[in-house]
Amino acid sequence: MTKNETVKTSPTKQFFVSMLTRDINLDDAILDLIDNCIDGALRSSGGRDPEYSKFEISIHVTEDKFTISDNCGGIPKDVAINYAFKMGRSADDNRDKDAETIGMYGVGMKRALFKMGEYSTVYSNTREGAFRVEIKPDWMQSESWDEIPLQNIEPRGNAYGTEIEVNKLTQGVSKLFKAEVFVNDLRKSVSEHFMVFLQKGLIIRINDEAVKPIILELLVHDDPKLPAPFVYERVRDGVTVSIAVGHNTSSAIDSDDAFEQNRDVRSSGWTVLCNDRAILVGDKTRLTGWGDNVPVWHGQFSVLTGIIEFRSSDASKLPVTTTKRAVDTSSDIWLEAFKKMREAMAVWTGYTNKWKNVKIVDRKSHWNGAVSKSLHDVIRTVIATRDMTSKQDGGIEYNPRIKDALPVPQSTTQSTRRISFSKPKSEIDRVAEYLFENTEVNPGAVGEECFRIILDEAKV
Amino acid sequence: MAEASSIPYNIRPNKVADRELFLSALSCFSAIENLKHYQYIGLGGPFLEDFKLIHIRLGLKKMVCVESEMNTHLRQKFNAPLSDMKFVHGAMEWYLDENEINEKSIIWLDFTAPGELVEQIMLFAVQASRLPIGSIVRLTLNANNTSLGTKEDAVKEDSSYRDPAKLKEWRMERFKGLFGDLTPSTLSSDEFTYKAYGKTLLRVLKLAVEREILGLPRQIKWLLCTHYADGQPMVTAMCRIAPENESEEVEKRIQEWEFYSTPNAPLTVDLPSLSAKERLEIGDGNREINLDYTIPSSKLSQDPVAMMKRFYRVYPHFSRVEL
Repeated sequence: MTKNETVKTSPTKQFFVSMLTRDINLDDAILDLIDNCIDGALRSSGGRDPEYSKFEISIHVTEDKFTISDNCGGIPKDVAINYAFKMGRSADDNRDKDAETIGMYGVGMKRALFKMGEYSTVYSNTREGAFRVEIKPDWMQSESWDEIPLQNIEPRGNAYGTEIEVNKLTQGVSKLFKAEVFVNDLRKSVSEHFMVFLQKGLIIRINDEAVKPIILELLVHDDPKLPAPFVYERVRDGVTVSIAVGHNTSSAIDSDDAFEQNRDVRSSGWTVLCNDRAILVGDKTRLTGWGDNVPVWHGQFSVLTGIIEFRSSDASKLPVTTTKRAVDTSSDIWLEAFKKMREAMAVWTGYTNKWKNVKIVDRKSHWNGAVSKSLHDVIRTVIATRDMTSKQDGGIEYNPRIKDALPVPQSTTQSTRRISFSKPKSEIDRVAEYLFENTEVNPGAVGEECFRIILDEAKV
Repeated sequence: MAEASSIPYNIRPNKVADRELFLSALSCFSAIENLKHYQYIGLGGPFLEDFKLIHIRLGLKKMVCVESEMNTHLRQKFNAPLSDMKFVHGAMEWYLDENEINEKSIIWLDFTAPGELVEQIMLFAVQASRLPIGSIVRLTLNANNTSLGTKEDAVKEDSSYRDPAKLKEWRMERFKGLFGDLTPSTLSSDEFTYKAYGKTLLRVLKLAVEREILGLPRQIKWLLCTHYADGQPMVTAMCRIAPENESEEVEKRIQEWEFYSTPNAPLTVDLPSLSAKERLEIGDGNREINLDYTIPSSKLSQDPVAMMKRFYRVYPHFSRVEL
């Protein structure tokens, strides 16, 4: 009888790298690297409330090279040797157990480097000294998972931080980096995804130009008798869920103007934050409840913004997918929060329904004196100035509709209805010429004049 | 409503100069490609000036004129410079959608109405991604910043918009709402003045085109981009569709053309209104000028003498012919 033999089961490097890089977009891979920088800033501040204005991240993309550098504390040598270059997170890697980071799987940096090119250099300078690790093409091409040399070197300058450089870019990546539209879109993604950090003072530059954040704020009165957003907060299983829904700071609309009706206000809709990262910005789809017990989003709701934040020191409990750029809609914490999101938004869609046929100037008068504030400041203001309701689920809530704090139009104001229709341009020109002896009059004015003439006749 | 295309050219000197630059760009390009076999597709207006000039100067014979207004379409047929020109009654967007263009073409999308900027820009971008390699596409857009909303519209929303700085910011927000994902990531409210808005539109156009051709085996090479204002401010952008592996020599030759310009650096064509005598006095702008008064600058506030120096070769000369 022949001896029993064994079969090989270990994954090939090519398969692993290919699978790892396949399910992430290039710009998301770069966002992962920025995430790592921010995690570094958090760690170097002891895991809590860094002074973000002290930290800077700089990214350069050209058709030949990618670099990202920061002053966020650097990668400690023992971390580099034992964890940072491993594929996946070790069970004994407890670096971030008390910090509100978002990395879970230990693949972000490697995935980004492999996605972009064949030759990467990681330089780090910390209090313990500086080192360099080079992932060369021959390591990428060989089958074995050999350890990579770490060279101790003299630090370049005094700042404690990391610099990553990727050369020998893949053809596709090189082409994308050369396209202005890619850099433009990357800047937008960064301004959205990291808006909270940017607002707190973090500087992120892409090709030497600083990225500005999207400002996400709601209007709130300090006076408890005046309007304030719907606010809810609850802690469940180590995750703090905070919700605020209300009037954003964009111009109010209520107009026949087709421009206004088609306007897409970026901050309107739902924004989902997980540990300060914006996973979704201005979502107006069913994913966040629009069209599901809440009307489908349309221009009337461009004044409404909902913000929901999930915060935890255990990133695996956050309702976020492996790419960190989408919501895990099957997670319990999301499913529970989703119901509250719909309830909160329904309060405000109802508010806009009441005001939709009323003059803008009358509606705006109720918001004179209101201040625009970020999510946390809104919640602090509402908790400090209003009676919160304790809910059965352990959360606290302020519902402006129940508290009678949402303004309603005065009943003496006559409600209006919109009349709109399309006619051939030649006919509109003919009527304009007839009524005004001028064909350059706005079609709306032509329609109004026709209505006025007939109304006068009807009154006689 | 008077169509811009039916306003006489002699009171639109910048438009005429712009068209001369377009023809000059095509002449430059003809050193690389034999244009005789190209087809030209355009909008024309009732008098088909562009078609006439393209036929006379470049020898193109295959021409398609697309017009949506029936009366103008009939006038075009009457005024046809060539007997076998094709006339299509319909919208340009419809024509380009319905007809697959398989031969090298020059297409000029000469839009004047400000109301459909997004659609116009996307039409251009899609053509850049679809037309055969070697084709040329040109777009003219209305660049009037008040199309984003007049001061009266803004003040109706909030009286604080009487402040010019706030008005610019208001227009910027409306722009972002209109263009959505096409909006450049770095915008400032200063880009929404009468003089600057045209360049902002060209930025959007460039991004839209790049997005459409990403991943395709082709390159877009810009040839001529202009900014001018006769009545309304207008911008134009003209590009050629080049193969992915085109030799750098070709682009180097194109860039040597004296009016080569891109969306990031368009030519401002702001010709002063001059009498014949003044024009003779200024000449090519390179000699001493004996005028004891200043020539007023035009709508885009460019120095009149500098404009003459740059564009004297394309400055239009109008004369009256009695029939």
